[in-house]
Amino acid sequence: MSKVRFSSKRLLLTLMLCACSVILLQNYDISEKSSFVFDILCMLFGLAICFVLFIPSVIIKMRTNLDFLTVARTVTPKLKIPLAVLYSLYFVYAAEFFLLPYTDMFSKKYYSDVTPCLIALILLSACVYAALKGVNVITRFGIFLFVFALITNLLMFGGSIGTLDFELYGFEVTGSVNDFIKNTVYFIIPAFIVTLFACLSGKTKNFKLRQPLFALIVTGLKYGLIMFFIWFSLGDYASKQEYQTFILARAARIGFFGGIESLYLALATMSVFMIISLVLCAVTKSAGKESDIKYVIIFAVILFAAHMCGSYLNSVKEIFTNNYIFAVFTVITAAVIPMMYVFAGRKSSARKTLHSINMS
Amino acid sequence: MRARLCIVLICLSAVMLSGCQSSRKIETAQIIENVTISERNGQTLYTFYILSSADTPLKTEIPAGSFEQACELAQNQYIPNISLSKLELLMIEEHLIDRVLKTDIEYISTQPSFSPSAFVALCDSKTIDKFSESTREQDLIEEQLILLKKNNPDVSINYLSVFNHFESEKTNEFRVGTLSFDGELKISGKKVIKS
Repeated sequence: MSKVRFSSKRLLLTLMLCACSVILLQNYDISEKSSFVFDILCMLFGLAICFVLFIPSVIIKMRTNLDFLTVARTVTPKLKIPLAVLYSLYFVYAAEFFLLPYTDMFSKKYYSDVTPCLIALILLSACVYAALKGVNVITRFGIFLFVFALITNLLMFGGSIGTLDFELYGFEVTGSVNDFIKNTVYFIIPAFIVTLFACLSGKTKNFKLRQPLFALIVTGLKYGLIMFFIWFSLGDYASKQEYQTFILARAARIGFFGGIESLYLALATMSVFMIISLVLCAVTKSAGKESDIKYVIIFAVILFAAHMCGSYLNSVKEIFTNNYIFAVFTVITAAVIPMMYVFAGRKSSARKTLHSINMS
Repeated sequence: MRARLCIVLICLSAVMLSGCQSSRKIETAQIIENVTISERNGQTLYTFYILSSADTPLKTEIPAGSFEQACELAQNQYIPNISLSKLELLMIEEHLIDRVLKTDIEYISTQPSFSPSAFVALCDSKTIDKFSESTREQDLIEEQLILLKKNNPDVSINYLSVFNHFESEKTNEFRVGTLSFDGELKISGKKVIKS
């Protein structure tokens, strides 16, 4: 693999788009009983937690200019295999967490004749190719996707302004403790980008603390806008159907120009494609064979097999798409384990080892 | 070499496994543009207007108890290749408002194939007769509805708004666009009292 370093801004831009895609696949994840303002407060709290989760990997990056996995392998060579297993499991789970809802939405909302497994197969084939090209190339695609997302969102929001209704739905703050927990856990999900950052940031340069902060602020803005339009433009109609952001795109209309849901679907497809491609890069890196064709294909086959199980067995699907499991798993892999290495890195022996890697 | 192999495999899978074998071709699909709900001999009549380039509308009349039932009958007996995703206008004869408006809008709101921004209007029997004579009436009605909404923001002109007003606990009544024909097409807002 190439040792050329690319701009950290580009990686964070790509990760921001991945974080934004969480709300594109939103399906009754936000409590229906709570009010809009309450949901926004939960979102701010959830994203603040995401920022806190960023801290350990940011410290490692700033201290060593390496990614967490390289540091972990160097500082604790004996823990190489348990770490590889844990992170591989996490990334397989993360890929399924996005792949299952996406294929489900595609077949339910757009094209019911095609089976979800077929969509997964085609998407995974494309992701394998992208993963072989490496993170640098995927982040270049991220620039294109950013522009596309901007246009799609402008059309979605612009087309929904006409149906805004402030008379029926207000700005009061109502919600219970259970709503708060449910919503906050959902808004911690974008923290999966922290784990991706921890594993993939080794080849980036010019990292600044403001980059993840900016990524999370833009993510929050997009979440806020989507929730605002779902709440005030769709209202109760949104609660009658699955995948509310799709309904928002479907209802958006600029004059006689409709069909914005096609752009939304393209955006969701490309976002999921980018997440799975990055996950494949990260999973092969965690296994110690970055972008190796054999490992990429093996993990793609595992993902497909897991998707098959998830599609046909509802209990498996429920486990793979459980927000609570994913949030806990994310907190462990994004913050708890890297934090241990932040403290371990303060020891003089570890510092010397890392210094020698940096020098080489 | 590996990259080329991957590209070939992706292209092959995209072509061979596209899932289009059981798809409905656009030439054979019967795309419903409008539906009118009227009454004949005491029975509710759902008229499905099929998209066509002819000057006279191509329509199928289906007597049914509800829109859900009419859609099922259309699919199974009358219009086998029916496609409702492009439905743009639902016109209900004014006196059937209590019988069908709430139930039909509720049904539509749960179906992913319908666009929530499609128009809904009440009308008199003369407008329905006029509507069945010429395909040009639809554009005219849609323009009138948009104009009405512009001048009276409180009037509901699509499924989304009508459904939300029915669901909301804040209001007991709301207004829906109403068309009447007396030599020329007229439009106004009619109050709907929630039962």
